Amino acid sequence: MNWSRVMALLGKELADLRGRPGIFFPGLFTGGVAILLPVFVAILVPAFTGERLSDSADLQVALELYRQQPGARALDPEAAIQASLFQQFLVLLVLSPVAAAMSIAAYSVIGEKQARTLEPLLATPLTTFELLLAKTLGAFLPALALSFLCFGLDLAVAAIFAAPGVAPALLTPRALGVLFLMGPMASLTALSLAVCVSSRVNDARSAQQLAVLVVLPITGLLIAQIAAGFVVSMPIILAITGVLALVNLGLMRLGVSLFDRETILTRWK
Amino acid sequence: MLEADSLTKTFGPRLAVEHVSFDVHAGEIFALVGPNGAGKTTTLRMLAGLIHPSSGAVRFRGQPTAGAESTLRAGIGFLTEAPGLWDRLTVRQNLSVHARLHGLPQPDRAVDAAMDLFGVADRAAEPAAVLSKGLRQRVALARALLHDPGAVLLDEPTSGLDPESARDVRELIVRLRHERRAVLISTHNLDEVDRLADRVALLNTRLVALDTPQSLRARAFGARVRVRFAGPADAYARTLSDEGLADVRADGHTLSIGLDGAGLQTPDIVRRLVAAGAAIEAVEPEEPSLEQVYLRLLRGGGS
Repeated sequence: MNWSRVMALLGKELADLRGRPGIFFPGLFTGGVAILLPVFVAILVPAFTGERLSDSADLQVALELYRQQPGARALDPEAAIQASLFQQFLVLLVLSPVAAAMSIAAYSVIGEKQARTLEPLLATPLTTFELLLAKTLGAFLPALALSFLCFGLDLAVAAIFAAPGVAPALLTPRALGVLFLMGPMASLTALSLAVCVSSRVNDARSAQQLAVLVVLPITGLLIAQIAAGFVVSMPIILAITGVLALVNLGLMRLGVSLFDRETILTRWK
Repeated sequence: MLEADSLTKTFGPRLAVEHVSFDVHAGEIFALVGPNGAGKTTTLRMLAGLIHPSSGAVRFRGQPTAGAESTLRAGIGFLTEAPGLWDRLTVRQNLSVHARLHGLPQPDRAVDAAMDLFGVADRAAEPAAVLSKGLRQRVALARALLHDPGAVLLDEPTSGLDPESARDVRELIVRLRHERRAVLISTHNLDEVDRLADRVALLNTRLVALDTPQSLRARAFGARVRVRFAGPADAYARTLSDEGLADVRADGHTLSIGLDGAGLQTPDIVRRLVAAGAAIEAVEPEEPSLEQVYLRLLRGGGS
């Protein structure tokens, strides 16, 4: 593999993205929802109803979940429940880079096909693996940056609107694991799927639809946390990350084998 | 320099190219002509290492390229049918990415030189999207030649260009010949082929004919001479028929005379006509257009 070729194409991908800010909208929207939902549930609803979170019998489980965490900061019950809710919704924040990666990756091959820019690219010494790696990184790095941005905003929102001590409570190894291990791996899986599919179809929506398969388990995790009092613990995060890493390796190999230059050149016009 | 050896390509049940063989030499402009769907672009793509032949081989500088397509692509410049520029990137960025993909040691210098050579330096900072079709084609040509390839494949290089832009591109192609590159053009523009090509291959899935334009003319129509008189030509047609010339056609003040198998050359014919009292205004070799040659060879299946 020739890294300078990968970096050349990666540079082009990033330069191209600067001219298409709209492509980040799905990621920003999802991130915005993930940031605002806990504010709505943990701060706005109690403020409007006048009912404290700690007075709700239904939310005692949230308090228990917070206190069960090893090394949890000592917070009063109201702040502890707020922290617990913010922590639960961190899983949803993972959807932001996934949505951004899907959006970018789906267009990365299909956009080239539709603009008829792929053939000159394929006429260079670039190998299929180098091409797909550059395309993958070109979607992954902006998605990762978006992930950092959203987490920063989430901390800022918690610091401004939640009780004192809630924002620091989000900086746990578990939260960081969700965001910076599981999140990026889930993004990679989504965009590897999108790249695989976009090698075979000529419609970005088809690629995005299949990549939604990655969103479903993440949403399932969130629902399981809220409905069943289940905590995505560090071992679970590491296990999911490991499985996703293996899936990504497989998807990359699959992507290279699915990327049929001949079909792309002769069928898509 | 670049050789197609019995190239055959099938797409499923469809035969796109069948046993096509030719070679393109350094310093030669070689034209590939044929109707739509004749397999021109498929042949170019096989030669460029973009698709694999079903059978046959491509050789570049005498070496088979099977399994070494990446190396082949490094030595060949390919101007695709569509310029294929990244619209949001500037001219410089477009070229710079390709210079780096080709691993040029001084990519910025190569890009500057290419932009100067193709007259697009003053548009370097503009996005490709705002360029005219002619300028886009220039940039695409510059991109195809950035890495100083020994062989250049040009798919419809002047298609859709205005006459001035087309002329500029033709001049650039002639320059490539002077630089001793092997140039292969695929085109429908037979006038362009006539002006540029040293040899022409007529393709219609298989190779119908391959020769210089002059030889193809002779093959399709035979050698002919046209004589223009001050008066009607009919009487002199009879004179020449009496001399044993079988292929003589009169049209107003002009005679068209076939020389193949006539046993007479142009000076002999002129001498006999003058002796018969003809007032001759002009004598010139009759050259059918390449389009006429193309149509005759295509309908006749070549020879």
